[in-house]
Amino acid sequence: MSEPSRPAPPSGTPSNPWVPSKHVEFLLYATAAISYVGLSIYNKWLLDWIVGPFWLVAWVWGLPALVRLVRHQPVRPRRNPLEQAE
Amino acid sequence: MSWAAHQFEVYAVEAHLPKKMVGQISWFAIFFGDFTPDFLAKFWVYGFNYHGHHYGASKPYQWHRGWPGMGISHTLFFGALCCLGIWAWKHNRAWTIGFLLGFGAHVITDVNDSIGTMLLFPFSTLNWSLHTWAYAATIKGGKYLDAAAYFSSLGFMMDLFWFFVVLGSWKVLTREFWRTKVVPADPHVWSWLGRWLDERGLLALYRGVFFYGVCRMIAWTTWAHLVARPVINGVRHNGYPWDLSWTGPWWVQHVTLPQVTPWVVLPTALILLAVVYWVANALWERMESGSIRAIAWRNVRRKTT
Repeated sequence: MSEPSRPAPPSGTPSNPWVPSKHVEFLLYATAAISYVGLSIYNKWLLDWIVGPFWLVAWVWGLPALVRLVRHQPVRPRRNPLEQAE
Repeated sequence: MSWAAHQFEVYAVEAHLPKKMVGQISWFAIFFGDFTPDFLAKFWVYGFNYHGHHYGASKPYQWHRGWPGMGISHTLFFGALCCLGIWAWKHNRAWTIGFLLGFGAHVITDVNDSIGTMLLFPFSTLNWSLHTWAYAATIKGGKYLDAAAYFSSLGFMMDLFWFFVVLGSWKVLTREFWRTKVVPADPHVWSWLGRWLDERGLLALYRGVFFYGVCRMIAWTTWAHLVARPVINGVRHNGYPWDLSWTGPWWVQHVTLPQVTPWVVLPTALILLAVVYWVANALWERMESGSIRAIAWRNVRRKTT
């Protein structure tokens, strides 16, 4: 017997904050790379081992988090609902 | 010195761990192992200017790779000392062995430039170099000339080589790999970071070093060949000239330190790479009981406090 699939809760609610699709995520990575390379060619100080990874995190995680913040949705990672119930 | 190759190595090592260590070696340890040699030595190589005065090494190549100097930071001996320190402190084999592998990869890759590394320190202070490309860190040229020379020579090919090694093991960059092989090896660090970042953020952090490697390779190469307008031997060029010949590029001054003959360097470096993996393999089993004892002892202390 196959495992029953869990119905997806409606998106955009506080219990299910906006999550970018795979395409949006790819776009985030691509734009992070283009913006970082484009700016760092003329601003070499950006080519730093701390700035580089931080740039990616800020772009890929920070931008969606900003969108959620604007939509008054939780930004910090939610705990597992089961843990919360305990 | 190598540039983006050191970022790609981290993933190459992670993707090619011995079978029994897959999913058990800390990715952060590999990263810090690979990063430590240059972290200790490189800042003073380029130095900095303050009120018209340059503060930094008078002979960057001697400081970076030589003895006396910080060349010890690029030796397997120093890597072994660091590993001993990590083991004595934490009794954590995931970190100890991960650090060893990352450190070993850095030291062995750096034999490619014209200065090389002191592979057999402390038994010998001679440098081992393949002279694949010219070491170009100078006081006058600083980081810019160094980058221009590297990304105009076989150094660029070295970066590409490591880039394709990682692409050949592309699964190492996937969410699935990160979830099943990277996080379980370092659950405390990832869960601590997870207090601030969700899974997408953590994954971006994991991929961030690769991202940085790719971007710095593209950015420096673009700058060196499309943006820069250098004057070489009195002639202005549109971009630094490419020179993919051995020990290129021709337009930087060649500096060397006392060295062994290049013919023995490649076999020795490969043997040492095999030795590093063999040692890691041999220690892995023996460290298990020590790790378990350390965890048990930590749990006891937590209960009593």
